[in-house]
Amino acid sequence: MEKKAILEIKGYSKVYGEGKKAADNVTLTVESGDIYGFIGHNGAGKSTTIRAVVGVLDFTEGEILIDGHSVKTEPIECKKITAYIPDNPDLYDNLTGIQYLNFIADVFGIDSAKRMEEIEKYAGLFEITDSLGDLVSSYSHGMKQKLAIISALIHEPKLIVMDEPFAGLDPKASYTLKQIMHEMCEKGTAIFFSTHVLETAEKLCNKVAIIKNGRIIDSGTMEDIVGNQSLEEVFLEVHDEK
Amino acid sequence: MKNKNLILLKMLLDSTSPWNVLRHCKDKKKKGRIIGAYVGLTILYLMLMAYCLFSCIGYGRIGLAEIIPAICALTISLIAVFFTFFKTNGYLFNFKEYDMLMSLPFDAKTVAGCKFLYMYLKSMPWYMSISVAMLIGYELYVTPSVVTWLVWMILTFILPVIPMLAAAFAGYIITRISAGFRKTNIVQTVLSFGVVILAFSSRFFIESMIKEDKVEETLVNASESINNVTDKYLPAKWFQLAVTQTDILSILLLVVISIALFEILFFFVGRSYREINSKLKNHAASRKFSMTGQKSRSVLNSIAFKEFRRMTGSTIYMTNGSMGEFMALIIGIAVLFIDMDTILYKITEGAPVTKEMLYPAIALIVYFCIGMVATTVMSPSLEGKNYWIVKSLPISGKVLYQGKMLFNMYMTVPFASFAIICICISTKAPLLTSILSLILGVCLCGFSTTWGCVCGIKHMRLDWENEVEVIKQGAGVAIYMFPNMIATMLLVVLVVALGTKIDQNIIVGALILIVSALAMIFYKKAIKLAEKQA
Repeated sequence: MEKKAILEIKGYSKVYGEGKKAADNVTLTVESGDIYGFIGHNGAGKSTTIRAVVGVLDFTEGEILIDGHSVKTEPIECKKITAYIPDNPDLYDNLTGIQYLNFIADVFGIDSAKRMEEIEKYAGLFEITDSLGDLVSSYSHGMKQKLAIISALIHEPKLIVMDEPFAGLDPKASYTLKQIMHEMCEKGTAIFFSTHVLETAEKLCNKVAIIKNGRIIDSGTMEDIVGNQSLEEVFLEVHDEK
Repeated sequence: MKNKNLILLKMLLDSTSPWNVLRHCKDKKKKGRIIGAYVGLTILYLMLMAYCLFSCIGYGRIGLAEIIPAICALTISLIAVFFTFFKTNGYLFNFKEYDMLMSLPFDAKTVAGCKFLYMYLKSMPWYMSISVAMLIGYELYVTPSVVTWLVWMILTFILPVIPMLAAAFAGYIITRISAGFRKTNIVQTVLSFGVVILAFSSRFFIESMIKEDKVEETLVNASESINNVTDKYLPAKWFQLAVTQTDILSILLLVVISIALFEILFFFVGRSYREINSKLKNHAASRKFSMTGQKSRSVLNSIAFKEFRRMTGSTIYMTNGSMGEFMALIIGIAVLFIDMDTILYKITEGAPVTKEMLYPAIALIVYFCIGMVATTVMSPSLEGKNYWIVKSLPISGKVLYQGKMLFNMYMTVPFASFAIICICISTKAPLLTSILSLILGVCLCGFSTTWGCVCGIKHMRLDWENEVEVIKQGAGVAIYMFPNMIATMLLVVLVVALGTKIDQNIIVGALILIVSALAMIFYKKAIKLAEKQA
């Protein structure tokens, strides 16, 4: 399969009103079929970067392109091919699970047959089919996370952006999500996600970037970055050094 | 493919619809609460309709039925402005699900526009209640044609749009300015109160405009007064012409201008929407904190302080929760500089009421502002998803709600006392009356706090999507506010009238006893409810 740049972040910076740089000249490229891990300590700028990528947060400098479309000037084109799973999904509590999924399917223009098939498939995999008729307010954190994941998958995006996707998931659901991530990548989907679980990142990702105080301090293929060490050792090393 | 505006609008309505919860919820208690809220709302709509209908009958009896359409248009417009202005911040900007919606393929204009339409549809039952009641009242005296009925009903849907857009625009400007500051909420609150002062002062400005038109002498009846206002406020004039003369041009003007203004406003809002929300939602951590001596507080004060921080952290909470205190402050300052007799003459429009007659009602007048809303009505529901924090603390329900009540007392007593003292000075009230009024003011604050707490706990709702749902639309707030306001107004009239027959100090003394007894009863009730909850 021919690799193609799906997400290109070029010199992205985000300065808050108080003059503090939350992201400073961040540059990275996620290609089709990549599972790209984005790691850093709390407050390093991971979520800020992710929220800028999905068009939620305005940014000060640089360019973010999704499949060649600019997030700034062509936001709708970008969002049509992107799925976003936030770390703490704020779903509508007074909708049922199926109402929420139907809403997302309507927004992405998925026809009835296709949405039935996709919802059945992913709800089955994450074992929440029986709960889809219940109000989201009755869901546990993990179930909400599963619902957010399903809503991200049903429209077959080219780019999936996830902020701590494994937080709150039970071991089986985590395993299922990893399998789905592999399957999607084989089909050419690019995945960009942040995590604190370095072991998972090391096993799952083919590329990784380490961010500290808003700056990328190391990035590249997992093999190049890790070498003979573990990702944890590398992370602690570069984090203390730079 | 369905229209994206409709998809989003339908979802916004479904997601906050109690009907949707009623259909899918399995909790019988919750279902009962929802049905109760529906019944309560229906009663409120019927009360509003009855008020509007009787007003129309009043106008009809004195031969002023022809001004009913204009009054209907003005009433709906005023309510639309009031409803929208204080909701804009919570509905259009800085709402909870912003990230989720903006990450979907909706453009900013669609999101902002749908949020506005959502506000519009949610308020529609209020506008409809007024309109239908006034149309029935109009029918009783004018017997209009079927076309009038049709035009009236259709234009009721259009009528609130322009005032709502004006209020939303003011809210947008305020949010845009305040987004640039670190203390966004404080700036927003100050600016919002500034707009409220401006709106109140504009009443006098409009009055003077009307008078400049050399109609002062002819302003002998409401008809001419209303006509003057409709001349200045064109949408009301268009509505009046449309329903009374089936004037096609007026219908077109109202519809086209409403739609055009909507498009223009949301074109501009859409362009800066992401920038404003980004600023509102994100402030970098300063990382400048250094550990110094930390002040310890008692548990009660600590809860009260938590409530204070909760309030200052939300513009909607702060503007709504402290509006009464702000009004009391303004009144207190105003009466020190403007002669009380002049104010009385303005308010009562020349009725023979002297400042001396007001002595027994001073505390009640201040309470009308201070007691408008108590923070204790909203604060139980505002715990929302963070309720687990207080529930998991080693404190009893009693202490928790005592802390919440203490905060409301901290908020109300100083402002009430200030305003009462100022009014007593301005009216040259005798010392004993002043002291009794001050005591009554404190008792009324206690009553407001405890009655509010009972309403707040009884109608506690934690599963809200937007703070506005509990602050402005909560069942507890409605049950607290409306009887409280009506009772206060009636009491003011009653004590002023009684004061002409009985010693005024005896009246205030009796009120102190009654109010403090009520405050005690509600305090016990609140504590009982709090303990039951724990």
